[in-house]
Amino acid sequence: MIEVRALTKTFKLYPQPSDRLKEFFLRRPFHSRHQALKDISFRVDSGQTLGIIGRNGAGKSTLLKILNGVLLPDSGTVTTNGRVTGLLELGTGFDPAMSGLHNIRTNGLLLGMTEAEIAGSTAAIIQFAELGAFIGEPLRTYSSGMVMRLAFAIAIHAQPQTFLVDEALSVGDGHFQQKCMRRIRDFRNGGGAIIFVSHDLNAVKMICDRVLVLGDGGIVCDGDPDQAVNHYNQMLAGDDSGELSAPDGGYGNFHAAITAARVTGLDSRGSLLSSGEACLVDVTVEAREDLPELTLGMVIRDRFGQDIFGTNSHVLGAALGLRANQRRTLRFRFPMALAPGKYTVTLALHDGIDHTRHCYHWWDNACQFEVSGIRGPIFTGVCNLRPELETLP
Amino acid sequence: MNITLLLHFVRQDLIDRHAASALGALWTLLLPLANILIFTLVFSRIMGARLETLGMEYLGQYSYSVYLVCGLLAWNAFAATLTRITQVFQEKAGLITKVNISLFTLPLYVVVSETIVYLISMGFFVVFLLFIDFQWTLAWLWLPLIFAVQQVLAYGLGLLCAILSVFLRDIRELVTVVTQLWFWLTPIVYVLSILPERWTEIFTWNPIYHTTTAYRDTLILGQMPDLAALGWVLGLGLALLAGALWMGRQLERDIRDFL
Repeated sequence: MIEVRALTKTFKLYPQPSDRLKEFFLRRPFHSRHQALKDISFRVDSGQTLGIIGRNGAGKSTLLKILNGVLLPDSGTVTTNGRVTGLLELGTGFDPAMSGLHNIRTNGLLLGMTEAEIAGSTAAIIQFAELGAFIGEPLRTYSSGMVMRLAFAIAIHAQPQTFLVDEALSVGDGHFQQKCMRRIRDFRNGGGAIIFVSHDLNAVKMICDRVLVLGDGGIVCDGDPDQAVNHYNQMLAGDDSGELSAPDGGYGNFHAAITAARVTGLDSRGSLLSSGEACLVDVTVEAREDLPELTLGMVIRDRFGQDIFGTNSHVLGAALGLRANQRRTLRFRFPMALAPGKYTVTLALHDGIDHTRHCYHWWDNACQFEVSGIRGPIFTGVCNLRPELETLP
Repeated sequence: MNITLLLHFVRQDLIDRHAASALGALWTLLLPLANILIFTLVFSRIMGARLETLGMEYLGQYSYSVYLVCGLLAWNAFAATLTRITQVFQEKAGLITKVNISLFTLPLYVVVSETIVYLISMGFFVVFLLFIDFQWTLAWLWLPLIFAVQQVLAYGLGLLCAILSVFLRDIRELVTVVTQLWFWLTPIVYVLSILPERWTEIFTWNPIYHTTTAYRDTLILGQMPDLAALGWVLGLGLALLAGALWMGRQLERDIRDFL
């Protein structure tokens, strides 16, 4: 259990370190302020998992550090009913010259484990980390993956009342990650509380019972995962509506140009969509001279830059002709059948069936969007082919 | 911070530091031993005559060595404790910024570590004294008390400097320089009587002068130490410690923010 009341933290920014001392002795301010946390209050009961999401700079790390005891708040209280261990800075205190076994003790003591607890858990830790005979070798002979597995194994056996978890869950291969999730689940069933900070909105929706959205140091939303994630996306949409300002803005002869582009989900109304909801790609096009045969094309690429799907107005049978200085907005509408992940949309304005004749404006990665969560039956792979299943006589 | 963690830090300091070397933890013994051998055997040829007046005639050529080592080992412990505690927050910043560690009990491991080194060195010294038929007295039982008084001063002053040095890096260098001067302002290598009379009064302001004199009075001359003077040094040490703790509590938030 963790209860936080009215937690406030301001960082004082000093032009020089010695100004801090000057302030202490001369009792005059020498700093500017950055308010990292404003009046944060929440409660996590035993067996609950609380998610915390927010943009970079919202105050998540500061909050975690205060809960961990590494930073002190300006005001407010943190009440816990037992040890709080961070699955955060894994491997603190690791000495590369010493063996894995020795480092288990070092790290365990630093995490607050007692001698007895370490002795009792050592066998389990060694087995969990899957290091085998390497446990007796000095840490400098380990690969970075082995170091992280050992660090994670120690932390997960620390037996606290509350775990603070950030992106550290992505350590190790699939099999190892599954082991970790199993232990986390056991921990939860045993009555432990978890605070989970992540940018992975899928994981947050999957694991958390409740989610807090932090914005500029304050709690913007406190509710169930779907509600909070939607709120978070509206925040993001308010900033840039899924538009990426490409540093070069594309190339072409610019007899016509794409002046605006946006990807939104019909329901989510932002650039974070669920797989299965309708997706709208709105593109505003402006012609600089008379162009009777314009074609607008679009290609969706995944995070590796692979073309996932492309189409254009010509193959869709839509005639597009503009006169000089005329502007039109077109909308592509389709069900978002893609698997969760991050994608970009590349747009092109050209003449005829493809861009090889006249390319007016080609804009790589004009917008970006993310698919998170699946509506309907879950699937794996790149996209949903919407199968039907029947039993044959 | 529990005792186990404290002792673990001590162990890391004395043993694990040498883990990668062939002789390993043996170095923790060899370095003090080398010190003792140099000061007792090499220096016993120098200033031997001067010290016959201090009641050490029976020691002959070893009188200076005994005089020197009594003061020097204690000084090394004091100086090392002071300078190392001054740096402890920077040195352990990697830990302080990641896991919850008490800022005020962390430097204790330095005190324990240096005490162990002192005891090892004194052990070799005792062996040496046994070889030269030293006259033992019960006054040696005062040793732990004098050492404790000295280490309280080192801890208090060290903690104060450690807090300041988080914000003013110069403190580190300053402490090193001041410690050097301090060494020469204490009659460890020399005898106070070689200085003009009117200077000797200044020395009474030096707390380490009192502890050093106390070591010599008890270990060599078999007398009781000047308890009033030791009381003054202890008071000073406790006052500095209290001041450091008060300042530390006020500044703890800023220290943690800044590290």
